[in-house]
Amino acid sequence: MKRILPLLAVLLWTGSADIQAQTRFLDDRVTLSGFGTLGLLHSNQEHADFVRDIGQPKGAEQGWSSRIDTRLGLQADIRFDEKLTGVIQGMSQYHSSGDFSPELMLAFLRYSPDPGFQFRVGRLGWDVDLVSDSRYVGYAYPWIRPPVDHFGVLQLTYIDGADVTFKRPMGSDLIWARFFTGRTNSRAYLSDELYANFDADHIYGGHLNYETGAWRFRAGYTRIESDVDYGGTLADQVAQIPGFNTRRFFNAATGFEQLEVYSVGAIYNPGPLQLQAIWNRDILIRNEIWVDSAFVSAAWRFNDLSPYTVLSAVRTHDDRDDPLNSNIEQRTWGVGLRYDVANDLAIKTQVDRIHTHSPGLLWRNTDDSWNGGWSTMVSLGLDFIF
Amino acid sequence: MTRVMRIILFTLLLSAAAARADIAIVINSDSDVQQINRSEAINIFMGRYRKLPDGSVALPIDQTPLRARFYRSLVNKEMAEINSYWARLVFSGQSSPPQQAASTIELVDIITHNTNALGYIDSDQVPASMRVLMTLRE
Repeated sequence: MKRILPLLAVLLWTGSADIQAQTRFLDDRVTLSGFGTLGLLHSNQEHADFVRDIGQPKGAEQGWSSRIDTRLGLQADIRFDEKLTGVIQGMSQYHSSGDFSPELMLAFLRYSPDPGFQFRVGRLGWDVDLVSDSRYVGYAYPWIRPPVDHFGVLQLTYIDGADVTFKRPMGSDLIWARFFTGRTNSRAYLSDELYANFDADHIYGGHLNYETGAWRFRAGYTRIESDVDYGGTLADQVAQIPGFNTRRFFNAATGFEQLEVYSVGAIYNPGPLQLQAIWNRDILIRNEIWVDSAFVSAAWRFNDLSPYTVLSAVRTHDDRDDPLNSNIEQRTWGVGLRYDVANDLAIKTQVDRIHTHSPGLLWRNTDDSWNGGWSTMVSLGLDFIF
Repeated sequence: MTRVMRIILFTLLLSAAAARADIAIVINSDSDVQQINRSEAINIFMGRYRKLPDGSVALPIDQTPLRARFYRSLVNKEMAEINSYWARLVFSGQSSPPQQAASTIELVDIITHNTNALGYIDSDQVPASMRVLMTLRE
Protein backbone atom coordinates (compact mmCIF):
# COMPACT_ATOMS: atom_id res chain seq x y z
CA MET A 1 0.00 0.00 0.00
CA LYS A 2 2.87 2.37 0.81
CA ARG A 3 4.27 2.04 -2.67
CA ILE A 4 1.10 2.97 -4.43
CA LEU A 5 0.27 6.04 -2.35
CA PRO A 6 2.60 8.34 -4.32
CA LEU A 7 1.16 6.95 -7.54
CA LEU A 8 -2.38 7.63 -6.37
CA ALA A 9 -1.38 11.19 -5.50
CA VAL A 10 0.02 11.68 -9.00
CA LEU A 11 -3.08 10.14 -10.56
CA LEU A 12 -5.39 12.40 -8.57
CA TRP A 13 -3.36 15.44 -9.44
CA THR A 14 -3.27 14.51 -13.11
CA GLY A 15 -6.95 13.72 -13.16
CA SER A 16 -7.99 17.00 -11.65
CA ALA A 17 -5.46 19.31 -13.26
CA ASP A 18 -6.85 19.48 -16.75
CA ILE A 19 -9.65 17.03 -17.05
CA GLN A 20 -11.37 18.94 -19.83
CA ALA A 21 -8.38 18.95 -22.13
CA GLN A 22 -8.46 16.05 -24.55
CA THR A 23 -4.99 16.50 -25.93
CA ARG A 24 -2.19 19.01 -25.85
CA PHE A 25 -0.57 19.99 -29.08
CA LEU A 26 3.07 20.81 -29.46
CA ASP A 27 3.29 22.60 -32.83
CA ASP A 28 0.89 20.00 -34.30
CA ARG A 29 3.65 17.42 -34.69
CA VAL A 30 3.55 15.95 -31.22
CA THR A 31 0.34 15.12 -29.39
CA LEU A 32 0.54 14.22 -25.71
CA SER A 33 -2.28 12.28 -24.11
CA GLY A 34 -2.87 9.78 -21.36
CA PHE A 35 -5.21 7.45 -19.58
CA GLY A 36 -5.57 6.04 -16.13
CA THR A 37 -7.65 4.13 -13.63
CA LEU A 38 -8.07 4.42 -9.91
CA GLY A 39 -9.42 1.06 -8.87
CA LEU A 40 -10.62 -0.27 -5.54
CA LEU A 41 -11.68 -3.84 -5.03
CA HIS A 42 -13.29 -5.58 -2.08
CA SER A 43 -12.88 -9.34 -1.87
CA ASN A 44 -14.80 -11.60 0.50
CA GLN A 45 -12.49 -14.56 -0.22
CA GLU A 46 -10.45 -15.44 2.84
CA HIS A 47 -8.70 -18.48 1.36
CA ALA A 48 -7.04 -16.90 -1.68
CA ASP A 49 -6.09 -13.56 -3.25
CA PHE A 50 -7.64 -12.38 -6.52
CA VAL A 51 -5.40 -11.26 -9.41
CA ARG A 52 -6.24 -9.47 -12.63
CA ASP A 53 -3.80 -11.50 -14.72
CA ILE A 54 -1.06 -14.12 -14.45
CA GLY A 55 1.62 -11.39 -14.56
CA GLN A 56 0.68 -10.11 -11.09
CA PRO A 57 2.74 -11.80 -8.34
CA LYS A 58 0.40 -10.75 -5.52
CA GLY A 59 -3.35 -10.43 -5.53
CA ALA A 60 -6.07 -8.56 -3.72
CA GLU A 61 -6.44 -10.08 -0.27
CA GLN A 62 -9.69 -10.26 1.69
CA GLY A 63 -11.00 -6.75 2.32
CA TRP A 64 -10.19 -3.66 0.26
CA SER A 65 -7.27 -3.40 -2.14
CA SER A 66 -6.21 -0.86 -4.76
CA ARG A 67 -3.37 -2.94 -6.17
CA ILE A 68 -4.69 -4.81 -9.14
CA ASP A 69 -6.60 -2.25 -11.25
CA THR A 70 -4.84 1.07 -10.65
CA ARG A 71 -2.67 2.39 -13.48
CA LEU A 72 -1.49 5.45 -15.38
CA GLY A 73 -0.39 5.65 -19.01
CA LEU A 74 1.19 8.51 -20.95
CA GLN A 75 1.52 8.64 -24.71
CA ALA A 76 3.16 10.81 -27.33
CA ASP A 77 2.02 10.59 -30.95
CA ILE A 78 4.56 12.04 -33.37
CA ARG A 79 3.74 13.02 -36.93
CA PHE A 80 6.82 13.22 -39.16
CA ASP A 81 4.79 13.70 -42.34
CA GLU A 82 1.50 12.46 -43.79
CA LYS A 83 2.81 8.94 -44.25
CA LEU A 84 5.22 8.47 -41.36
CA THR A 85 4.10 8.65 -37.73
CA GLY A 86 5.32 7.29 -34.42
CA VAL A 87 3.89 6.40 -31.02
CA ILE A 88 5.58 6.11 -27.62
CA GLN A 89 3.63 4.99 -24.57
CA GLY A 90 4.77 4.39 -21.00
CA MET A 91 2.59 2.89 -18.31
CA SER A 92 2.78 2.32 -14.59
CA GLN A 93 0.76 -0.54 -13.12
CA TYR A 94 1.27 -3.37 -10.68
CA HIS A 95 2.97 -5.98 -12.84
CA SER A 96 5.38 -8.91 -12.91
CA SER A 97 8.26 -7.07 -11.22
CA GLY A 98 6.05 -6.85 -8.11
CA ASP A 99 5.82 -3.05 -8.11
CA PHE A 100 4.46 -0.12 -10.11
CA SER A 101 7.71 0.47 -12.03
CA PRO A 102 6.92 2.08 -15.41
CA GLU A 103 7.12 0.00 -18.57
CA LEU A 104 7.51 1.00 -22.19
CA MET A 105 4.30 -0.39 -23.67
CA LEU A 106 4.42 1.01 -27.22
CA ALA A 107 7.30 2.46 -29.23
CA PHE A 108 6.89 2.14 -32.96
CA LEU A 109 7.13 3.86 -36.31
CA ARG A 110 4.19 3.58 -38.68
CA TYR A 111 4.49 3.96 -42.44
CA SER A 112 1.19 4.24 -44.27
CA PRO A 113 1.55 5.35 -47.89
CA ASP A 114 -2.10 4.54 -48.53
CA PRO A 115 -5.20 4.03 -46.29
CA GLY A 116 -5.26 0.42 -47.48
CA PHE A 117 -1.74 -0.42 -46.27
CA GLN A 118 0.20 0.11 -43.08
CA PHE A 119 3.58 -1.10 -41.84
CA ARG A 120 4.63 -0.74 -38.18
CA VAL A 121 7.96 -1.59 -36.62
CA GLY A 122 9.02 -1.38 -32.98
CA ARG A 123 7.22 -2.29 -29.78
CA LEU A 124 3.59 -3.16 -30.55
CA GLY A 125 0.58 -4.26 -28.54
CA TRP A 126 -0.50 -7.89 -28.86
CA ASP A 127 -3.88 -7.76 -30.59
CA VAL A 128 -4.58 -11.46 -30.43
CA ASP A 129 -8.28 -10.69 -30.04
CA LEU A 130 -10.61 -7.71 -30.45
CA VAL A 131 -9.88 -6.14 -27.05
CA SER A 132 -6.46 -7.45 -25.96
CA ASP A 133 -4.32 -4.52 -27.12
CA SER A 134 -6.47 -1.97 -25.28
CA ARG A 135 -7.15 -4.06 -22.15
CA TYR A 136 -5.38 -1.58 -19.87
CA VAL A 137 -7.41 1.44 -21.06
CA GLY A 138 -10.34 1.41 -18.65
CA TYR A 139 -12.06 4.39 -20.25
CA ALA A 140 -12.35 2.43 -23.51
CA TYR A 141 -14.67 -0.31 -22.23
CA PRO A 142 -17.77 -0.53 -20.03
CA TRP A 143 -16.35 -2.89 -17.37
CA ILE A 144 -14.17 -2.24 -14.31
CA ARG A 145 -11.64 -4.59 -15.88
CA PRO A 146 -11.74 -6.89 -18.89
CA PRO A 147 -13.11 -10.29 -17.78
CA VAL A 148 -10.31 -11.96 -15.81
CA ASP A 149 -11.30 -15.49 -16.84
CA HIS A 150 -10.50 -14.53 -20.41
CA PHE A 151 -7.87 -11.77 -20.38
CA GLY A 152 -6.18 -12.92 -17.16
CA VAL A 153 -4.57 -15.89 -18.89
CA LEU A 154 -3.07 -13.94 -21.82
CA GLN A 155 0.67 -14.53 -21.82
CA LEU A 156 2.12 -11.50 -23.63
CA THR A 157 1.85 -7.77 -22.99
CA TYR A 158 3.67 -6.47 -26.07
CA ILE A 159 5.77 -7.67 -28.98
CA ASP A 160 9.04 -6.21 -30.28
CA GLY A 161 8.72 -6.71 -33.99
CA ALA A 162 6.72 -5.60 -36.99
CA ASP A 163 3.26 -5.91 -38.49
CA VAL A 164 1.60 -5.20 -41.82
CA THR A 165 -2.07 -4.35 -42.30
CA PHE A 166 -4.08 -4.56 -45.51
CA LYS A 167 -7.57 -3.02 -45.81
CA ARG A 168 -10.07 -3.29 -48.63
CA PRO A 169 -13.63 -1.97 -48.82
CA MET A 170 -16.26 -4.39 -50.12
CA GLY A 171 -19.27 -2.29 -51.00
CA SER A 172 -20.18 -0.59 -47.75
CA ASP A 173 -18.29 -3.23 -45.72
CA LEU A 174 -14.62 -3.41 -44.84
CA ILE A 175 -12.33 -6.40 -44.82
CA TRP A 176 -8.85 -6.21 -43.36
CA ALA A 177 -6.00 -8.42 -42.27
CA ARG A 178 -2.90 -8.00 -40.15
CA PHE A 179 0.19 -10.17 -39.90
CA PHE A 180 2.80 -9.76 -37.18
CA THR A 181 6.08 -11.24 -36.05
CA GLY A 182 8.52 -10.47 -33.28
CA ARG A 183 9.84 -11.46 -29.91
CA THR A 184 9.33 -10.50 -26.27
CA ASN A 185 10.13 -11.36 -22.67
CA SER A 186 7.42 -11.90 -20.12
CA ARG A 187 6.88 -13.50 -16.74
CA ALA A 188 3.86 -15.54 -15.69
CA TYR A 189 3.17 -16.59 -12.11
CA LEU A 190 1.89 -20.12 -11.70
CA SER A 191 1.61 -19.73 -7.93
CA ASP A 192 3.29 -17.84 -5.08
CA GLU A 193 6.14 -20.36 -5.22
CA LEU A 194 6.70 -20.64 -8.95
CA TYR A 195 7.00 -18.36 -11.94
CA ALA A 196 7.98 -18.86 -15.57
CA ASN A 197 10.23 -16.47 -17.50
CA PHE A 198 9.35 -16.56 -21.18
CA ASP A 199 12.05 -15.60 -23.64
CA ALA A 200 9.66 -15.74 -26.57
CA ASP A 201 11.98 -15.41 -29.55
CA HIS A 202 9.63 -16.62 -32.28
CA ILE A 203 6.22 -15.04 -32.28
CA TYR A 204 4.13 -14.86 -35.39
CA GLY A 205 0.48 -14.64 -36.21
CA GLY A 206 -2.29 -12.57 -37.69
CA HIS A 207 -5.96 -11.90 -37.81
CA LEU A 208 -8.70 -11.44 -40.36
CA ASN A 209 -11.40 -8.84 -39.75
CA TYR A 210 -14.76 -8.12 -41.32
CA GLU A 211 -16.75 -4.99 -40.49
CA THR A 212 -20.30 -4.51 -41.69
CA GLY A 213 -22.60 -1.84 -40.29
CA ALA A 214 -22.42 -2.04 -36.49
CA TRP A 215 -20.78 -5.50 -36.55
CA ARG A 216 -17.07 -6.28 -36.21
CA PHE A 217 -15.78 -9.84 -36.53
CA ARG A 218 -12.27 -11.15 -35.99
CA ALA A 219 -10.55 -14.51 -36.28
CA GLY A 220 -6.96 -14.58 -35.04
CA TYR A 221 -4.01 -16.88 -34.57
CA THR A 222 -0.68 -16.51 -32.73
CA ARG A 223 2.16 -19.02 -32.33
CA ILE A 224 4.68 -18.41 -29.55
CA GLU A 225 7.93 -20.38 -29.28
CA SER A 226 9.94 -19.62 -26.15
CA ASP A 227 12.90 -20.60 -24.07
CA VAL A 228 11.35 -20.84 -20.64
CA ASP A 229 13.13 -20.96 -17.29
CA TYR A 230 11.62 -21.03 -13.84
CA GLY A 231 12.07 -19.24 -10.53
CA GLY A 232 10.54 -18.99 -7.09
CA THR A 233 10.89 -21.08 -3.95
CA LEU A 234 9.52 -24.23 -5.58
CA ALA A 235 12.01 -23.98 -8.44
CA ASP A 236 14.79 -23.38 -5.89
CA GLN A 237 13.80 -26.48 -3.94
CA VAL A 238 13.72 -28.62 -7.05
CA ALA A 239 17.12 -27.25 -8.06
CA GLN A 240 18.59 -28.63 -4.81
CA ILE A 241 17.98 -32.18 -5.96
CA PRO A 242 21.32 -33.46 -7.26
CA GLY A 243 21.43 -34.25 -10.95
CA PHE A 244 17.94 -32.88 -11.54
CA ASN A 245 17.35 -30.62 -14.53
CA THR A 246 14.87 -28.08 -13.15
CA ARG A 247 14.13 -26.46 -16.44
CA ARG A 248 13.50 -29.71 -18.24
CA PHE A 249 11.29 -30.90 -15.41
CA PHE A 250 9.06 -27.83 -15.38
CA ASN A 251 8.94 -27.52 -19.14
CA ALA A 252 7.78 -31.12 -19.34
CA ALA A 253 5.10 -30.34 -16.76
CA THR A 254 3.87 -27.06 -18.27
CA GLY A 255 4.51 -27.39 -21.99
CA PHE A 256 5.03 -23.63 -22.15
CA GLU A 257 7.74 -23.78 -24.83
CA GLN A 258 5.30 -23.96 -27.72
CA LEU A 259 1.97 -22.21 -27.53
CA GLU A 260 -0.74 -21.54 -30.05
CA VAL A 261 -3.61 -19.13 -29.49
CA TYR A 262 -6.75 -19.19 -31.62
CA SER A 263 -9.35 -16.49 -31.20
CA VAL A 264 -12.78 -15.72 -32.61
CA GLY A 265 -14.75 -12.66 -31.61
CA ALA A 266 -17.59 -10.33 -32.50
CA ILE A 267 -18.72 -6.89 -31.38
CA TYR A 268 -22.13 -5.37 -32.18
CA ASN A 269 -22.44 -1.70 -31.37
CA PRO A 270 -25.43 0.08 -32.98
CA GLY A 271 -25.80 3.25 -30.92
CA PRO A 272 -26.67 2.70 -27.25
CA LEU A 273 -26.32 -1.11 -27.27
CA GLN A 274 -22.91 -2.78 -27.06
CA LEU A 275 -22.61 -6.57 -27.32
CA GLN A 276 -19.26 -8.37 -27.23
CA ALA A 277 -18.33 -12.04 -27.36
CA ILE A 278 -14.84 -13.51 -27.67
CA TRP A 279 -13.60 -17.10 -27.42
CA ASN A 280 -9.90 -18.06 -27.24
CA ARG A 281 -8.21 -21.44 -27.23
CA ASP A 282 -4.60 -21.64 -25.96
CA ILE A 283 -2.92 -24.88 -26.95
CA LEU A 284 0.19 -26.13 -25.16
CA ILE A 285 1.40 -28.25 -28.04
CA ARG A 286 3.80 -30.58 -26.27
CA ASN A 287 1.38 -31.87 -23.65
CA GLU A 288 -1.80 -31.74 -25.70
CA ILE A 289 -3.32 -29.44 -23.09
CA TRP A 290 -5.54 -26.58 -24.03
CA VAL A 291 -7.18 -23.73 -22.19
CA ASP A 292 -10.53 -22.43 -23.39
CA SER A 293 -11.62 -18.99 -22.26
CA ALA A 294 -14.58 -16.91 -23.35
CA PHE A 295 -16.90 -14.10 -22.37
CA VAL A 296 -20.12 -12.47 -23.48
CA SER A 297 -21.01 -8.96 -22.44
CA ALA A 298 -23.96 -6.62 -22.95
CA ALA A 299 -24.10 -2.92 -22.12
CA TRP A 300 -26.88 -0.41 -22.73
CA ARG A 301 -26.53 3.36 -22.52
CA PHE A 302 -29.27 5.50 -20.96
CA ASN A 303 -27.96 9.06 -21.25
CA ASP A 304 -24.87 9.11 -18.97
CA LEU A 305 -25.55 5.73 -17.37
CA SER A 306 -24.54 2.42 -18.92
CA PRO A 307 -25.57 -0.69 -17.00
CA TYR A 308 -23.86 -3.85 -18.17
CA THR A 309 -23.55 -7.54 -17.50
CA VAL A 310 -20.74 -9.92 -18.35
CA LEU A 311 -20.41 -13.67 -18.16
CA SER A 312 -17.00 -15.31 -18.51
CA ALA A 313 -15.45 -18.73 -18.10
CA VAL A 314 -12.08 -20.44 -18.37
CA ARG A 315 -11.19 -24.11 -18.32
CA THR A 316 -8.01 -26.14 -18.73
CA HIS A 317 -8.43 -29.41 -20.60
CA ASP A 318 -5.78 -31.73 -19.25
CA ASP A 319 -5.96 -35.52 -19.02
CA ARG A 320 -3.06 -35.63 -16.56
CA ASP A 321 -3.24 -35.23 -12.81
CA ASP A 322 -2.48 -31.46 -12.77
CA PRO A 323 1.17 -31.87 -11.67
CA LEU A 324 1.71 -28.22 -10.71
CA ASN A 325 -1.80 -27.37 -9.51
CA SER A 326 -1.94 -24.87 -12.35
CA ASN A 327 -5.11 -25.99 -14.10
CA ILE A 328 -8.00 -23.53 -13.99
CA GLU A 329 -11.74 -24.00 -14.05
CA GLN A 330 -13.80 -20.99 -13.16
CA ARG A 331 -16.88 -19.02 -14.16
CA THR A 332 -17.74 -15.42 -13.34
CA TRP A 333 -20.95 -13.48 -13.62
CA GLY A 334 -20.71 -9.74 -13.21
CA VAL A 335 -23.11 -6.81 -13.26
CA GLY A 336 -22.06 -3.20 -13.19
CA LEU A 337 -22.79 0.41 -13.95
CA ARG A 338 -20.70 2.97 -15.81
CA TYR A 339 -21.51 6.64 -15.18
CA ASP A 340 -19.97 9.11 -17.62
CA VAL A 341 -19.45 12.11 -15.38
CA ALA A 342 -17.79 14.06 -18.18
CA ASN A 343 -16.60 13.29 -21.69
CA ASP A 344 -13.24 12.17 -20.33
CA LEU A 345 -14.14 10.77 -16.92
CA ALA A 346 -16.19 7.73 -15.96
CA ILE A 347 -17.06 6.22 -12.60
CA LYS A 348 -17.82 2.52 -12.49
CA THR A 349 -19.00 -0.02 -10.02
CA GLN A 350 -19.22 -3.76 -10.52
CA VAL A 351 -20.13 -6.87 -8.56
CA ASP A 352 -18.65 -10.21 -9.61
CA ARG A 353 -19.73 -13.62 -8.40
CA ILE A 354 -16.92 -16.06 -9.15
CA HIS A 355 -17.44 -19.80 -9.02
CA THR A 356 -14.05 -21.49 -8.87
CA HIS A 357 -13.71 -25.24 -9.38
CA SER A 358 -9.94 -25.23 -9.76
CA PRO A 359 -8.04 -22.02 -8.82
CA GLY A 360 -4.86 -22.74 -10.81
CA LEU A 361 -2.89 -19.74 -12.07
CA LEU A 362 -5.55 -17.14 -11.30
CA TRP A 363 -5.32 -16.97 -7.49
CA ARG A 364 -2.45 -16.24 -5.10
CA ASN A 365 -1.72 -16.98 -1.45
CA THR A 366 -4.09 -19.92 -1.72
CA ASP A 367 -4.79 -22.01 1.38
CA ASP A 368 -3.75 -25.63 0.88
CA SER A 369 -7.26 -26.71 1.77
CA TRP A 370 -8.95 -24.38 -0.74
CA ASN A 371 -10.01 -26.10 -3.95
CA GLY A 372 -12.43 -23.42 -5.01
CA GLY A 373 -15.87 -22.19 -4.16
CA TRP A 374 -17.82 -18.98 -4.47
CA SER A 375 -16.23 -15.52 -4.15
CA THR A 376 -17.78 -12.08 -4.38
CA MET A 377 -15.80 -9.10 -5.62
CA VAL A 378 -17.14 -5.56 -5.34
CA SER A 379 -15.21 -3.03 -7.39
CA LEU A 380 -15.15 0.73 -7.70
CA GLY A 381 -13.27 2.48 -10.47
CA LEU A 382 -12.54 5.91 -11.83
CA ASP A 383 -11.32 5.95 -15.42
CA PHE A 384 -10.05 9.02 -17.18
CA ILE A 385 -8.33 10.18 -20.33
CA PHE A 386 -6.56 13.43 -20.97
CA MET B 1 -60.38 16.82 -27.02
CA THR B 2 -60.12 19.47 -29.71
CA ARG B 3 -58.30 21.65 -27.26
CA VAL B 4 -55.81 18.90 -26.52
CA MET B 5 -55.28 18.36 -30.24
CA ARG B 6 -54.63 22.07 -30.69
CA ILE B 7 -52.07 22.08 -27.91
CA ILE B 8 -50.31 19.04 -29.43
CA LEU B 9 -50.30 20.63 -32.87
CA PHE B 10 -49.00 23.90 -31.47
CA THR B 11 -46.22 22.08 -29.59
CA LEU B 12 -45.23 20.17 -32.72
CA LEU B 13 -45.11 23.38 -34.75
CA LEU B 14 -43.01 25.06 -32.08
CA SER B 15 -40.50 22.22 -31.98
CA ALA B 16 -40.31 22.22 -35.77
CA ALA B 17 -39.60 25.93 -35.77
CA ALA B 18 -36.92 25.49 -33.11
CA ALA B 19 -35.16 22.69 -35.06
CA ARG B 20 -31.65 23.55 -36.15
CA ALA B 21 -30.33 23.24 -39.66
CA ASP B 22 -29.11 19.87 -40.89
CA ILE B 23 -25.41 19.13 -40.96
CA ALA B 24 -23.58 19.09 -44.29
CA ILE B 25 -20.36 17.16 -44.89
CA VAL B 26 -18.33 19.41 -47.16
CA ILE B 27 -15.16 19.42 -49.23
CA ASN B 28 -13.23 21.98 -51.24
CA SER B 29 -15.16 22.62 -54.48
CA ASP B 30 -11.91 22.02 -56.43
CA SER B 31 -12.07 18.35 -55.38
CA ASP B 32 -13.25 15.80 -57.96
CA VAL B 33 -15.39 14.05 -55.37
CA GLN B 34 -19.09 14.77 -55.88
CA GLN B 35 -20.69 12.81 -53.04
CA ILE B 36 -20.13 10.16 -50.41
CA ASN B 37 -22.54 7.76 -48.74
CA ARG B 38 -23.05 7.20 -45.02
CA SER B 39 -20.76 4.15 -44.87
CA GLU B 40 -17.93 6.10 -46.46
CA ALA B 41 -18.52 9.01 -44.07
CA ILE B 42 -18.39 6.61 -41.09
CA ASN B 43 -15.22 4.94 -42.43
CA ILE B 44 -13.51 8.31 -42.83
CA PHE B 45 -14.56 10.06 -39.60
CA MET B 46 -14.30 6.96 -37.40
CA GLY B 47 -10.80 6.18 -38.74
CA ARG B 48 -11.71 2.82 -40.29
CA TYR B 49 -10.70 3.56 -43.89
CA ARG B 50 -9.75 7.09 -44.87
CA LYS B 51 -10.03 7.06 -48.64
CA LEU B 52 -12.21 9.24 -50.84
CA PRO B 53 -14.18 7.74 -53.74
CA ASP B 54 -11.68 9.23 -56.24
CA GLY B 55 -8.86 7.24 -54.58
CA SER B 56 -7.23 10.14 -52.74
CA VAL B 57 -6.48 10.11 -49.02
CA ALA B 58 -9.25 11.70 -46.92
CA LEU B 59 -8.29 14.23 -44.25
CA PRO B 60 -11.29 14.50 -41.89
CA ILE B 61 -11.63 17.60 -39.71
CA ASP B 62 -13.81 17.80 -36.61
CA GLN B 63 -15.47 21.10 -35.80
CA THR B 64 -15.50 21.28 -32.00
CA PRO B 65 -18.78 23.25 -31.52
CA LEU B 66 -20.72 20.87 -33.82
CA ARG B 67 -19.00 17.65 -32.78
CA ALA B 68 -21.68 16.25 -30.46
CA ARG B 69 -24.51 16.89 -32.96
CA PHE B 70 -22.49 15.46 -35.84
CA TYR B 71 -21.65 12.12 -34.19
CA ARG B 72 -25.14 11.73 -32.72
CA SER B 73 -26.45 12.14 -36.23
CA LEU B 74 -23.80 10.00 -37.98
CA VAL B 75 -23.50 7.02 -35.60
CA ASN B 76 -26.07 7.67 -32.83
CA LYS B 77 -23.38 8.05 -30.16
CA GLU B 78 -22.79 10.59 -27.42
CA MET B 79 -19.43 12.32 -26.96
CA ALA B 80 -18.42 10.07 -24.05
CA GLU B 81 -18.87 7.06 -26.35
CA ILE B 82 -16.96 8.71 -29.18
CA ASN B 83 -14.10 9.53 -26.77
CA SER B 84 -14.23 5.98 -25.45
CA TYR B 85 -14.04 4.64 -29.03
CA TRP B 86 -11.00 6.80 -29.76
CA ALA B 87 -9.35 5.91 -26.44
CA ARG B 88 -9.30 2.28 -27.60
CA LEU B 89 -7.78 3.12 -30.98
CA VAL B 90 -5.35 5.84 -29.85
CA PHE B 91 -3.91 4.03 -26.80
CA SER B 92 -3.46 0.79 -28.72
CA GLY B 93 -1.62 2.74 -31.43
CA GLN B 94 -4.15 1.84 -34.12
CA SER B 95 -5.38 5.19 -35.39
CA SER B 96 -5.78 8.88 -34.64
CA PRO B 97 -8.97 10.94 -34.36
CA PRO B 98 -9.72 13.69 -36.90
CA GLN B 99 -7.88 16.99 -36.52
CA GLN B 100 -9.86 19.54 -34.55
CA ALA B 101 -11.03 22.93 -35.82
CA ALA B 102 -12.13 25.24 -33.02
CA SER B 103 -14.63 27.19 -35.17
CA THR B 104 -16.35 27.33 -38.54
CA ILE B 105 -13.85 30.00 -39.62
CA GLU B 106 -10.91 27.69 -38.85
CA LEU B 107 -12.63 24.79 -40.60
CA VAL B 108 -13.25 26.87 -43.72
CA ASP B 109 -9.62 27.97 -43.67
CA ILE B 110 -8.34 24.37 -43.49
CA ILE B 111 -10.65 23.12 -46.24
CA THR B 112 -9.83 26.08 -48.48
CA HIS B 113 -6.15 25.13 -48.32
CA ASN B 114 -6.54 21.31 -48.63
CA THR B 115 -8.46 19.71 -51.50
CA ASN B 116 -8.70 16.38 -49.66
CA ALA B 117 -9.82 17.83 -46.31
CA LEU B 118 -13.47 17.32 -45.44
CA GLY B 119 -15.44 18.63 -42.52
CA TYR B 120 -18.98 19.32 -41.43
CA ILE B 121 -20.90 22.53 -41.12
CA ASP B 122 -24.47 23.75 -40.51
CA SER B 123 -26.17 23.21 -43.87
CA ASP B 124 -27.40 26.81 -44.00
CA GLN B 125 -23.84 28.13 -43.62
CA VAL B 126 -22.09 26.34 -46.47
CA PRO B 127 -19.80 28.82 -48.29
CA ALA B 128 -19.73 28.94 -52.09
CA SER B 129 -16.15 27.60 -52.11
CA MET B 130 -17.33 24.25 -50.73
CA ARG B 131 -19.23 21.32 -52.14
CA VAL B 132 -21.74 19.39 -50.06
CA LEU B 133 -20.91 15.66 -50.23
CA MET B 134 -23.73 14.49 -48.01
CA THR B 135 -26.38 15.95 -45.69
CA LEU B 136 -27.16 14.42 -42.31
CA ARG B 137 -30.80 14.98 -41.34
CA GLU B 138 -31.34 15.71 -37.66
